[in-house]
Amino acid sequence: MKTKLIIGLLAIGFLFPAKNNAQSLPSGKSIADKTHARDEGVSMSRTLTMELKDKRGKVRIRETTSLRKYFDKEKRLAIFYLTPKSVMGTAFLTYDYPDPSIDDDQWLYMPALRKTRRISAANRGDYFLGTDLTYEDIKLETRISRDDYNYKTIGKELINGHESYVLEATPINDDIAKELGYSKVKLWVDANIWMLRKADSWDVAGNHLKTTEIKDIKQVQGIWTYHQIFVKNHKTNHETIFRISDIDYQTEINDDTFTKEALVNGI
Amino acid sequence: MIHKYNLVIVFLFSLFGAQAQEKQNKFKESFKASLVVTSDFSYEFKKEGLQKSEIILKPEFSYRLNRNSKFVLKGQLYTELNDDLEKGVPKENTVSDFSKRLFIGDRTNLELREFYFYTSIKSKLRLTIGKQQIVWGETDGLKLLDVVNPQNFREFILDDFEDSRIPLWSLKAEFDIKNIGIQFVWIPDNTYHITQDFDAPYFAKSLFQSPPEGVTTVFNKTKKPKRFIADSDIGVKLSTFTKGWDISLNYFYYYDDLPVFYNELLVTETDDLVLTINPKFKRQHLLGGTFNKVFGSSTFRGEIAYIFNQNFTSTAPVATLGIETSNQFKSAIGIDYIKGENIISAQLFSDIVTDSVSLYNRDKFETNTSLKISRDMMNDNLNAEILWVHNANHGDGYIKPQVSYWMNTNTQLFLGSSIFYGNETKLFGQFKDRSRISLGMRWGV
Repeated sequence: MKTKLIIGLLAIGFLFPAKNNAQSLPSGKSIADKTHARDEGVSMSRTLTMELKDKRGKVRIRETTSLRKYFDKEKRLAIFYLTPKSVMGTAFLTYDYPDPSIDDDQWLYMPALRKTRRISAANRGDYFLGTDLTYEDIKLETRISRDDYNYKTIGKELINGHESYVLEATPINDDIAKELGYSKVKLWVDANIWMLRKADSWDVAGNHLKTTEIKDIKQVQGIWTYHQIFVKNHKTNHETIFRISDIDYQTEINDDTFTKEALVNGI
Repeated sequence: MIHKYNLVIVFLFSLFGAQAQEKQNKFKESFKASLVVTSDFSYEFKKEGLQKSEIILKPEFSYRLNRNSKFVLKGQLYTELNDDLEKGVPKENTVSDFSKRLFIGDRTNLELREFYFYTSIKSKLRLTIGKQQIVWGETDGLKLLDVVNPQNFREFILDDFEDSRIPLWSLKAEFDIKNIGIQFVWIPDNTYHITQDFDAPYFAKSLFQSPPEGVTTVFNKTKKPKRFIADSDIGVKLSTFTKGWDISLNYFYYYDDLPVFYNELLVTETDDLVLTINPKFKRQHLLGGTFNKVFGSSTFRGEIAYIFNQNFTSTAPVATLGIETSNQFKSAIGIDYIKGENIISAQLFSDIVTDSVSLYNRDKFETNTSLKISRDMMNDNLNAEILWVHNANHGDGYIKPQVSYWMNTNTQLFLGSSIFYGNETKLFGQFKDRSRISLGMRWGV
């Protein structure tokens, strides 16, 4: 009787393996929601250094101070260039609205012109200031989109010793694919802290485009924080390393830091 | 006992040492210094020689007193190796004593470009006091509202506005009432445009009527306002961001930065005809505004300026001292289209003289257009752009292609050209012999 029961259970297991597996893995949507529910603090200041390396090995470094603050659910981000000195004062401001159907508002202050220029945020797939991440990648900041992709959770893997869910993401339609510049993305999301640890993306023609690795993740003032992002563009062999330091979630940032006038006055 | 004293001394030294170290660290954190060196060598096709051989050192220092206040000082050492653009030591009659450059020989000058104190008082009021640049407006290339600071025309409009704009001693106060940002500016510095002498490459001859043949011209010294308060300029800008629209409303009460060239034809005792020109700066009011909004991949922007009592050189024999006055309406609309690494920017400028006056060398209704195409390549290592400015009335204009390349983190190279075309009596065409090719470098540390 006991043997029959075991055989019966095994048979059920063989007959419905996918169902069992799916039950043990959370859906992509729920993982996406969890990455968005992560505590990011109300405000944050940090030094963001972008190291750009071309295929010949030439390295250019851009150092910035980046300030971010939530105004209710609206996120405002200001980036001030510190180096190179010849473009020092260049500043970038974004208002990121909670309603995904509303485009962000963006301004760029150019010290050579002493003018703040309004710039379109419609092209989410454009590359951010010469780096290998797009404006959309930067905006998501190690979270994964809730609206742009159909997800399939395909398993669990260890990334740098951390248990991570593996997701395959395909844009919900061709227009979104063109807008984002990706036809497919494979994502590794940390199963404990719900932060993206790695991503591979393919361009709209199906070619392997980029590998992104989020490294040196540790708690700062009680908030899980990444300290390095490495991106390699496989098509151009260009690499970008984002190094993050001097992170502060506790010092209050004045609301008027996130205005056009503040871009002119600098930090 | 001695041992105890030693301990106390060591303790005090370490205490003072720690304090000194702390002060030193605080100073290091608060004090920032940088240096940018630029060079630009331009070869003039007509002259078959250098038109410009410029090296500029731009040191900048800032000291932050606390989170809300800082001092900023920007200096400049300017050298023109061949002394081509501003020959000799310019008189700078239109510049106030406080803003004059210090010339070291004919080729080199030192200038305090900016020196101001910035403070934010309880996040309610932001003050910038000192020598500074205040820039209004949305347009590129041609100016409508960007008239708060005057300009040095040693290269007409080819020089970067950052370099050609003359910073002024002024006060800028900014505060908000609800969602309206208010900027108040007060400028007691009586400094106006620096225009070029008759023998300079960029002398704007199109502004001056040639005297009749055989008539001697006497050019008298420009009458410049001198009173600190009574002759100061004031302006207000109201700005807001609502429903995706950036809107500003501007008012400026100021002296026009170009003097009015009053002229009189006189007969001398010896029956000779003499044309006497008496330049004088005149006050005027300007009312204007700007707007912009993003539609998809494009930014739509505009700017208007209405100037009351603008003076014009007249061709009417009955005009008093050769000048007639009219209101003037200027407008510009532009569109910036961004797609990937490409930017296309087009602008349409209109300039209407509202009254019936006989204008010298311009039409009552003038139209200028500009088109700029720019492309970043190789992860912003390389940029290629071309700017074309064209006057539809007279068919003159200029084309400015340029390529720039980042050699490394701190060094950028430029290769460009400026080509003027059109009738040589008109604004742009007058410089068609000044067309040039330029090679430059910018380095900062």
